[in-house]
Order: sequence, then C-alpha cells, then structure tokens
Amino acid sequence: MSNGALARRRFLALLGVSALALTAACGNGGDDDTAAGGDVTLEFSQWWEPELPEGSLRALMDEFEEQNPGITVELLSGPYASTKEQVVAGAAAGTMSDVVGLDGAWVSDFVKQGSIASLTDVMGEAGYDDSQLAAQIQIDGATYMIPVVNFVYPLLTNDQLLADAGIDAPPTNRTEFAEAASAVNDLGDDVSGWALPLSLEAPNGVQNDVMSWVWASGGSMLADGQPAVTNAEVTSATEYIAELWEAGVIAPGSFTMKEQDKVEEFTNGRVGMVISSLAHVNTLRESNPELEFSVSAIPAEDSYTGERGIPYASWGIGIAENSEHKAEAWKLVEFLMSESVNSELSSLANAFPGNTESVPDFVEGDPVFADAFEIYSSGYPENEFTGLPVAEELMRMFGEELQRTLNGDQSVDEGLEAAQARWSAEF
Amino acid sequence: MTQSTLVTTSTHQRGGMKKAGVLVGLVLGALFAGFPVIWMALSSFKSNREIFESPPRIITDSFSLDSYITILTDPVKVRFFVNSYVIGLAVTVLTLVVAIFAAYAFSRYEFPFKRVLNVVVISVQAVPPITLLIPYFGLMVTLGLYNTYPGLILTYMVFTLPYAIIMLTGYFNTLPRELDEAVKVDGAGPITALWRILVPLSVPGLVSVGLYTFMIAWNEFLFALTLTRTQDMRTVPIGIQLLMGQHSYEWNEMMAMSVLGCIPILVLFLFFQRYFIGGMTAGAVKI
Amino acid sequence: MSKISTLPPAMLNPPAGPPVRRRRRGLQRRATPYLYLLPTIALMIMLMVVPIIMVSGYSVMDNVITNQNPQPVGLANYVEVLTDPVFRTAVGNTIYFTGVSVVAHLVLGLVFALLLNSPLVGGRTKALFRLVYVLPWLFTVAIIAVLWRLLLNPNGVVNYLLQAAGVIDANVEWLANPDTALHAVTFINIWAGYPFFMISLLAGLQGIPKELYEAARVDGASIVQQFRHVTLPQLKPIIISMALLDFIWTTQQFALIWMTTGGGPINVTEMLSTFTYKLAFSRYEFSLASASAVIILLMSMILAYFYVRHQKARD
Repeated sequence: MSNGALARRRFLALLGVSALALTAACGNGGDDDTAAGGDVTLEFSQWWEPELPEGSLRALMDEFEEQNPGITVELLSGPYASTKEQVVAGAAAGTMSDVVGLDGAWVSDFVKQGSIASLTDVMGEAGYDDSQLAAQIQIDGATYMIPVVNFVYPLLTNDQLLADAGIDAPPTNRTEFAEAASAVNDLGDDVSGWALPLSLEAPNGVQNDVMSWVWASGGSMLADGQPAVTNAEVTSATEYIAELWEAGVIAPGSFTMKEQDKVEEFTNGRVGMVISSLAHVNTLRESNPELEFSVSAIPAEDSYTGERGIPYASWGIGIAENSEHKAEAWKLVEFLMSESVNSELSSLANAFPGNTESVPDFVEGDPVFADAFEIYSSGYPENEFTGLPVAEELMRMFGEELQRTLNGDQSVDEGLEAAQARWSAEF
Repeated sequence: MTQSTLVTTSTHQRGGMKKAGVLVGLVLGALFAGFPVIWMALSSFKSNREIFESPPRIITDSFSLDSYITILTDPVKVRFFVNSYVIGLAVTVLTLVVAIFAAYAFSRYEFPFKRVLNVVVISVQAVPPITLLIPYFGLMVTLGLYNTYPGLILTYMVFTLPYAIIMLTGYFNTLPRELDEAVKVDGAGPITALWRILVPLSVPGLVSVGLYTFMIAWNEFLFALTLTRTQDMRTVPIGIQLLMGQHSYEWNEMMAMSVLGCIPILVLFLFFQRYFIGGMTAGAVKI
Repeated sequence: MSKISTLPPAMLNPPAGPPVRRRRRGLQRRATPYLYLLPTIALMIMLMVVPIIMVSGYSVMDNVITNQNPQPVGLANYVEVLTDPVFRTAVGNTIYFTGVSVVAHLVLGLVFALLLNSPLVGGRTKALFRLVYVLPWLFTVAIIAVLWRLLLNPNGVVNYLLQAAGVIDANVEWLANPDTALHAVTFINIWAGYPFFMISLLAGLQGIPKELYEAARVDGASIVQQFRHVTLPQLKPIIISMALLDFIWTTQQFALIWMTTGGGPINVTEMLSTFTYKLAFSRYEFSLASASAVIILLMSMILAYFYVRHQKARD
C-alpha cells in the first residue's frame, strides 16, 4: 500500500473518531427522572452531606424511602462555597434539583429568578399544619424557605487565656469585652484579644461578627425594610469596632480572614474571644482536646437590659419551581421537619432545630450546648440579611467600606454613609 | 560534560567556577519552587492543630498517615482520581490529534480567512469562563452532555486546543518546508509528510503541549463542578473543595489529596522528560 | 494509484475526465486546509462561539436569568460598566498583575530552562532539579490558594523564616494589608505559572542547532553574546507565542485571586475577572457581567490581531 493510501486511512480514521466522540457524547445524556412503574426519584442538592458525619444524611434518606415507598432520593452534594453558582446555573438551564438546600442570603435572589416555588402553595395543597415550624422565610407574604436547622453564633471565650489575663468571667457588655480583649492581647506571644474575619470572598463576617453587635443590643440595620446603617445603633457598634481596631486587639490578617481561619486561630489559642458557630465545637475539641472554653451571649451596650438578638445561619430548604414532583418533594421537606427527624438532624449537625418541638440530644449531655441553648432560648435569633435582595453583596459592600474605615481612609460616619448609599441602590 | 574533556586546564578551572555557579542557581531556584510544596507534604502528616502552630514545626510529633488512609480507603474519593485520569488522558490524546491537523494547516497552507481564524482561536480564550458558565450549562443540557465524560472532555478541549494549535504551529514553523517536499517527491501525500516527518520531529513540543493539556484538564474546577452532578462523575479538584467545609477545613486531608494527586503526574513527567534532554530535533533542522 | 496519492486527502473520489479533474483538484487543494481544521472549527463553533454569541446577546438586554422578560437596552450596560470607577481600578490592577506575572514567568522560565539545560551539570542532577522545578505546576488552584494563605498567614512560616533571617522585624499581613496584597497575589501567581514557560522553553532549547553555537564560538562570541545572538533569536517565536497566551490567561485568572483575597482588602486586588464574577453571581447582574466579558473579549481580540499580524510579517 502506498503511503498516501495509508495517510488517507489515518485521516478518515481521525474524522471518524471525532465524529464518533461527538455522537457518542450526544447520545449519552438525558437521565430519566422517573424510573419504571411510576416511581419517583427526587433529587436533593445540598452542601450538608459533607458537613455531617459520613453516611448519616444518606441513612435519613433511607428511612424516608422506607416510609414512602415509590420515592427514591438522590443526594447531590457540592462544596458549600460553590453551591450558590450551581443553583443559579441549574435554575437558568431548567435542571435544578427538586429539593434544594438554601442559605437565607440567597432566597430573595432565587425568588426573583423564579427558580424556587412558593411553599405556602405547596403546604396548602398538602394540608400541612405549620405551627411546629420555628421560622419560615417569606418574600411578599409567601414562604419560600424553611430553616431546617439553625447555627447560632454566640461568644466563645478561651478560659485559659482569659484566666491568664486576670479575667474570671466572660464579658457581658462592651466595656468588659474591650477590657478583656486588651488584657488578653497584653499576654503577648502573638495572642490577640478578638478575631474579626472581613474577607471579601466570603463576606459573612459582616453578618456574624459585625452586625451581631448591633443585634445584641436590640438594634437594627433596617428601618421599614429599607437600609438604615447610619442609625445610632449601627454607628455605635461600628465606632466600637473601630476603637478595638485602634487599640490593636484584633488578630492580624483581618481583611482576608474567613470564618474557617477564625476558627483555626481560636482552636490554636491565638485569640481569646471569637463570635462563632457551635457547629464545629466537636472538631474544635478533637483538634485541641486541652482547649477549655465557655459560651456566652454576645456583649451588649453597657446600659442595655432588653432581650438580645443572637445571629444565626440556617440550613434552609426549598423546592424548585420547575420540579415535576412538588408533592413528593414536600413529603421530603415534611419528613426533615418532623419532630424526631429534625431532632436527629440537629444533633448530627450540632445545630438548633427548626421544629419548635424538637430537642437535640446534645442539649442535655453537654454543658457547652446547654449554655448555648439557654442563650438561644432567652434571646431571639436574628439575621436581618435573610431575605434581603443580593444579601451577600450587601455584606461585601459593607465589608469593603468598613475596611476603608479601619484602614484610615475615611471616618466611621463617612463609611456608613457610603455603605448606606450603596445599599440603597440595591433595594 | 563531554565538553570539559576538550578544554584546556585554565578554562577547566573557570569551568569549575561556572559549574558551582550553575549549581547554586539551581539550588536557589529549587528552594523557591519546592519549599511550598514540601511544606504541604509535611503538613499532610500533621494533625490539624500542628499545621497552625506558631512557631511552625517542621517535623510532626504525631506522625500519621491517617489522612492518606482515609482517602485511599474511601471508594468515592478513589473514584475522583479515576475520573480525573480518564478525563485528563482523553483530553490530552484528542487535543493532540486534532491540534496536529489544525497546526499543519496553519503552518503549511495559505487560505482565505486564515488570519481571521487565527485571531478567533487566540482571542476566544480571553472570555472569562465564569461568564460563559450559564449559557454553557444550558448548552450542555440541551446536547445531553451534562454529567457525562464526553461533556467534560469536549469542554476542556475547547480550552486546550487554542494553546495546542498555537504552540504546534510554532514548532512546525521551525521545521523547514524542504522536509515535507522531500517526502512528497518520493510520491507520498501531505498526510504522510505530517505523520512521518513533522510529528516525529516535534516530539519534544508534543510532549510539552501534552503535559500542559493534561494539567489544564486535571486542575480545572469551575466547569468540572458545574457540568457534573453526581459524586461518581466528580474530579479531584472538587474532592479537595469538598473538604473545605462551611465552618472549617480538613487541612491534612486536603494536603494529602493534593500530594496523592500529583504523584502520578510526577511519574508521567519522569517518563516523558527524556524528550526534553535528547535534543531530538537538533539533527533535523540541519537538513 | 500513485498519482492520486500525491493529492491531498480530500481527493477520495475516482478521477474523472481531465478538465473536471483539474478543476476539482484545484477545489480540493483549496479545501484541504479547511478539512484539516474541520474538527477544530466544529468544536470551537459548538462550544465556544455559540456561548459567546449568547453572552453578547445578554449584554444588550436589561437583565437576564433573574429577569423573566428581558428587554433590549442597547449599549446602556457597556456605558455603565465602562463608567464604573471600580472597573477602572480593576483594569489598572489587572494590567499590573498580568504584566508583572508575564515578565516574571518569562524571566524565571528562561533562567530555569537555561540552568536545566546547562552542560556543566550531570544528567541525574538535572533530572532531579527538573522534577523539583515543575512542582508548582501540579496543583489545582484551590490548593495553591489555601497553601499560600497558610504560608503567608501573619503567624505563618514565611513570616517566621523572614524574622529569623532578620529581613522583617514584625509579622507582616501579606495578603490582608492593602499595601502588600497586590504584590503578594502577583507573587503567588508567578510561583504557580512559571513552569509553563520553563517546560516550553526547555523543549525549544533542544531545537536550537548545536552548529549555531559552534559557529558563534569560532567567531569568539562570549556566553552572553551567544545567548543574545543565538539563543534568544532562536527562542523568539516560542517566547512571543507564550507571552501572548500567558497574557490572555493571566488577565482572566479568577480562582487564585478570589480564593486568596476575594478582590480585597478594599479593592486593591480587584481584577477584571473578580469584578465580572461579582456582577454575575453576587449582584445577579448577568447583563452587566456579559457586557464586561464582551469588553474583555474585544480587548484581547485587538491583542490577538497584532500578534497574528506580527506572525505574518515574520513569515
């Protein structure tokens, strides 16, 4: 055979291969949602599975499938940091999962996109009694998200560091907190009083570590649903944080610190106090068994005596608007919200239940959680970002202006006015 | 090495100086390149807490292979590695084959719209992939490629092809046209000229392009995440990201997974690196 | 048979009469390069051009994805993006980040390639160093980001070593300090990206005929002169191609910046890519994000045009 013929064959083979690759690829997709026999497969996308003990969420799903013959649940798990993009892109392409894990900060945007269904309607159709639900996230009068479990953010204090600094009890008001922070800071050895994560990548530090000071004193960053960050309460909290910054008691690296970094700093005894979720208390104990710490309410203004708002984050749940199995999807939501399952999930996640009747078993066994539950019950959970439009961007804008302020580029008032203007443009 | 036998004694001494200089340079460069990686490898043996200790410790007290064992015994995580390799290899082979033909056209032919095509091939790479995400996602679902190997493979080829074509066109351009003409005079067609002459002479270029292609496919995160749905289709970068939780990171497992991920690539590199030192093209260009 | 085999592969039909045949041969000759390019073109149109057209379509609507009935608004989105002061900051930062990265990639890549190509060092030693030098290349960007966050942490090992060496006297917040953050992310990008140049240049160095050096030595050229008059001109085509590609890639580097600084502190590391991302996934302004993407595309098309013209001039 001549070289030319050989070459031609090769070339044809190449064309064939690429054509094959394309057609094979094209014929490969399109999974069927419904299996044979009218059975329903529900897709449940969330970031919870990797956060929970291995296999535990699957076990709950197995239990659900047992109780509801004919429904299978497929868990689709992704990394927390990228869940939002996934949901947005999925909704745009019409491939959103039937049931989706949601964060309160995303709800408004998804409702605007028309990607999540009104649960008010679904509950109505199912004849569900919602009196046991601790909270429902509503937009324009309809429920779109139900918080399944809640992570509260109390003040964690390192007992050893505080004792070394001559402080015998966790601070209860701002003056005490500033004193404690500065005393711990004076211990030297790279130890700081407080950690303030202001990363712009994951700007939820603005919610948990900044606005929490406002809420703890009964304040608000909104007035009639509109931004009001120049009000007295936000101003005083921001001024207070700026004073702590001036005093140098805040751990270095603040402007790029994330929640996870804050936890590492605390775990390793490099900061005396943090406002932090209880979700990782077990990890914290595992990685540093010698660490002794206490849980207390976030300090309020010195004169404040009312109930304290305590920031929280939720694992929320919603149903896709384009789901063909809304009734079945609701069954899954109902299952997760039922008293016993909700207790179990809360225990697994170290979170507080979204069902008012549920009591997670750690509350009785563990003094830290017992304290936290006490704080949770005596105050009220507060998260004003939940349900706001572009909530994450609002946090980022505030964070950016706060960074400018702390960096000395503008005064507290200028910073708040700038934030107010930027927020107003988004509402 | 062989040259030193040819030089005189005085230059021999200077050669020794030079050799020392080169070695010092190599060591300094190696510190720059290797230190972070070595630190990562050391961290993978530490406990989460030791990773953050200050002052930093080099060797761990509680040396543990736990993180490696956790990963290697988890079938889901092993599957991530398998996926990454299957996709990486397929992308590399297909990209090279397709790019060789395209580069041949660009290097050896004049045709209308050549410049336009060239500009398009180069500049489409500049579109931030993140903005393509949403239309892309819809496209993949429509084509039925969502959550499939071919979906990811074709996607990565779109990102690797422009580079491969540009580099291979460059390599082919360095080979004189007389080479192909000589073959054609013998009665062979342009395809033979391409596969018998140009491709063998471009092996170092092909290897470096292939390695880079593999690395792009191996390390890509955004599309790997968006275009897959189920755990059994996910790749290593996503597996690593799954260890970065909402509240805390599994540092040592993340590090161990990265170390495990790069070992096979290192082996691949070791296997292919003789092509960088052989001077394979040197003889050919003389003709 | 032998006659046909001299023809391009497109000539698969049996030859017809002479005039037709000549015409067809001409046609086939002209069709040949397109045939070679067919798989590439098909793939690029399907998976690159189509999405880009869709994005361009988005960019002239008031908003998409979050808006169920988008209305066309002409170029309003382009005006809004171009007049946004943050966009201009992002352009400035991107130019610094990209410019410094590309130059450093090139210089480091070339130096390392020359060192690794040196005949003065033994083969095994070189093999070992080669291995070490490609290490930064082997990691996914998420890991590069967390690794450097760990190293550059105020209490991290870099500060510890620099203090021990007496270079700095207090811990530096490399990534969190507005004065150092941009340099820090650029440094990380330099570290992560030079092996690409190094490998390609190493391959290029193998292609330089030994005779050129021998001739230069006969003419009494020093090492430096050999480098300037033999090595550099020989590598120039590779260098230019890679510099262009690296420039384009670096301008859209997103994950590394996002995962180390998120564009902060304040906006000192805000790049075109992070700016666009925030428009799309934080503010859900997909039309603005699309406009920004198209602007970036147009800028790089200009760059690509000059590159292609330069290539042509060289031929």
